[in-house]
Amino acid sequence: MNANSASRKMLSLIFLIGGAAMLVIALIQDFARTGATYRGALLILGIVAILLGLYLFPTLKYHRRIIYIIFLFPLLFTFAVTVIIPLCLGIYYSFTDWTGIQFTQFVGFDNYTAMFQDPQFIWSILMTFVFVVVNMILVNVIAFLLALLCTNGIKGGGFFRAAYFLPNLIGGIVLGYIWQFVFNNVLINLTQTSLLVQTKTAMLAIIVVYIWQYAGYIMLIYITGLTQIPGDVLEAAQIDGANASQTLFKVKIPMIASTFTICTFLTLTSAFKQFDVNLALTGGTGSVPSFMGKYLTSGTQMLALNIYNTAVSKNNYALGQAKAVLFFIILACVSLIQVRISNRKEVEL
Amino acid sequence: MKKQAMLIAAGILAAAIAATNASAAESLRLVNGKIEVDAALKEVAAKYEEETGVHVEIESMGGGVNIQDELKKQYQGTGMPDIFVCGSDADFGNWDGLLADMSDCAWAADTDAGYVGTDGLVGFPYTTEAIGLAYNADILEKAGIDPASITGPESMRAAFETLDAQKDDLGLTAVIGWCCEAQNLYWSTGSHSFANYLDAGLDRDDTTYSDLLADGGQIDHDRFLAYAEMVGLFNEFSDPALLTSGTYDQQILGFASGKYAFVTQGSWIGATMTSDDAEQYAEAGNFKCGMIPYAFQEGIDTILTNSPSWWAVFQNDNTDAAKAFLDWLATDAGQEILVMKGGFISPFKSCSFVAEDPFAATISEYTAAGKTSAWHWLKNKSGLDQNATGQIYLDYALGSIPDAETFTEVMTQVIADYYAS
Repeated sequence: MNANSASRKMLSLIFLIGGAAMLVIALIQDFARTGATYRGALLILGIVAILLGLYLFPTLKYHRRIIYIIFLFPLLFTFAVTVIIPLCLGIYYSFTDWTGIQFTQFVGFDNYTAMFQDPQFIWSILMTFVFVVVNMILVNVIAFLLALLCTNGIKGGGFFRAAYFLPNLIGGIVLGYIWQFVFNNVLINLTQTSLLVQTKTAMLAIIVVYIWQYAGYIMLIYITGLTQIPGDVLEAAQIDGANASQTLFKVKIPMIASTFTICTFLTLTSAFKQFDVNLALTGGTGSVPSFMGKYLTSGTQMLALNIYNTAVSKNNYALGQAKAVLFFIILACVSLIQVRISNRKEVEL
Repeated sequence: MKKQAMLIAAGILAAAIAATNASAAESLRLVNGKIEVDAALKEVAAKYEEETGVHVEIESMGGGVNIQDELKKQYQGTGMPDIFVCGSDADFGNWDGLLADMSDCAWAADTDAGYVGTDGLVGFPYTTEAIGLAYNADILEKAGIDPASITGPESMRAAFETLDAQKDDLGLTAVIGWCCEAQNLYWSTGSHSFANYLDAGLDRDDTTYSDLLADGGQIDHDRFLAYAEMVGLFNEFSDPALLTSGTYDQQILGFASGKYAFVTQGSWIGATMTSDDAEQYAEAGNFKCGMIPYAFQEGIDTILTNSPSWWAVFQNDNTDAAKAFLDWLATDAGQEILVMKGGFISPFKSCSFVAEDPFAATISEYTAAGKTSAWHWLKNKSGLDQNATGQIYLDYALGSIPDAETFTEVMTQVIADYYAS
């Protein structure tokens, strides 16, 4: 292969320079908001030309490395566009007075100080933590019990498995509205006033609906874990005379410790990010007559919904962004700690 | 190898040239916020295309969509519509410097209902809506109550008590359909009912109480207390099944089928009564409807009418075409369809069409007599109803706020906090 031929070198340079030029023009068009319709196509063409130029670049030493980059590029590009760039932009906007359309000035840490002076936001954080702790325990306990039930060889086990999992296939918004109907029109005959109108009972309602939605999913993971326990181990336990509870606590649970890790991790993060059921079931309503000296009017509003409402309903996008950055930090910390602790436990086994 | 590379290069060049030549056809896009008039708007757009060849695409949003948020997404992403709905000062404030001034348009001289913002006349009014205490005229007549006699708190209570005593004979479930549910109907209590504290009985340009509110969220204690007493009266005589966890549909259906003598929704329910609820409305005898003022103080004699929202024109290459379309809409050709098919109450003086709407006659009467007030609640801080006031109405209805005085105190505190944050 004439990798170092003059014409190939030339072609590579043309592609590289042409591609870079197209890229720059496209980006300028974009940032200057000229509204030119061809800018997207130009950007993609520019990138393709640069990649071609790199491919044709006359080098033997780095050729393999260039090929790696070219193959990784689609993934890296997508990851940058959907995760890295929005994250950076979000952090950037949180230091401005962004309205969702434009911003006029940098405000430094004003948004960050403002949110900690807002009792409603502190309340939302508290409620979220309570919700997470309660759910992490209840969802796992209930899911594990359901899994034991379904793997016990009872009649119709397959049916129960499917039935418990079914709620998870319905979207949270739809579920929220279905349960809202149940609470407001059916259960109201027992409870006089709807459970959804008082903060305490409404939180309880959200927890019930969330467990109903999520326990079936976690149950499936436990079932997978339980069915993967080797039969000879269980048989050995039986021969040694272990009773049912001994088998459960001394054999089954230690054998599926890694499943517990996965499930606590899943319930923890998903409960933290709870949004759809919260939005559809209560919309964050509910009053708290006295908290930090204020009368709060969004008692069941959890963190994600608080962020959404700050931006969309209160029309304060910059403050919403700042809260979202804090949300990201909390979630990242919690997840890291959780994984650390669980990993250590597994090693000990 | 070389040939292949040359071919690819030529291909890229050709594609780049082709891409640069792409251009938009003559077409406008309108984002409408009233999903119930979608069909009428599409009809009017088709007629305009027939007459002028300009295609107008109607995009209707509703059913809980936050339209401003949606528009912001379009602004960041796919591009703005040429004409879009804006409903309040905060909405228009979002687009400062980006909207076209329409004071040179022909329609501007034909109405006083346009929206004037910092960029000039930026809002095209397309209909008129009224907030008043809607009543079922047939039932009031049977009960021997003259709606004109309800002029203040005592006469209102007397009328409610008379109706309550004859509930069974009149086939009523409750005297009034008043719903304080806070998740989906916060706007009805927190904005529309609250509007009466701000404006009822005042001249159209009287901004006393909205100015007070804008200045750090202050509430006039005496006026609000009187208003709170009326809210208490509604709580007392409303349908318990509706009061704290009902729905909008349930509320309108109850009124349309003659189960409530009064309902606390404005003139827009006329469209629902004659379409979705037409069957029940017919069964109840297609009764006559009217409105009385929310007379929480003796002498309050106005209902609140306004353009509920406006259409704004975005500044871009299509601005002139968009203005031309709105000019045409304000003429008889456009108004005929909007009024007769969409049930709009025209804000234009030259328009002679009158909708077959149960409330059209009442609104005309009040307007002709000069007994209307404006909607200064449109100046309220964004999200006040959803995040603050709506919930307090519910607490009052539930009884966790026991009386009018406490209601006034809590409301004063919460609104002040909301304006401070």
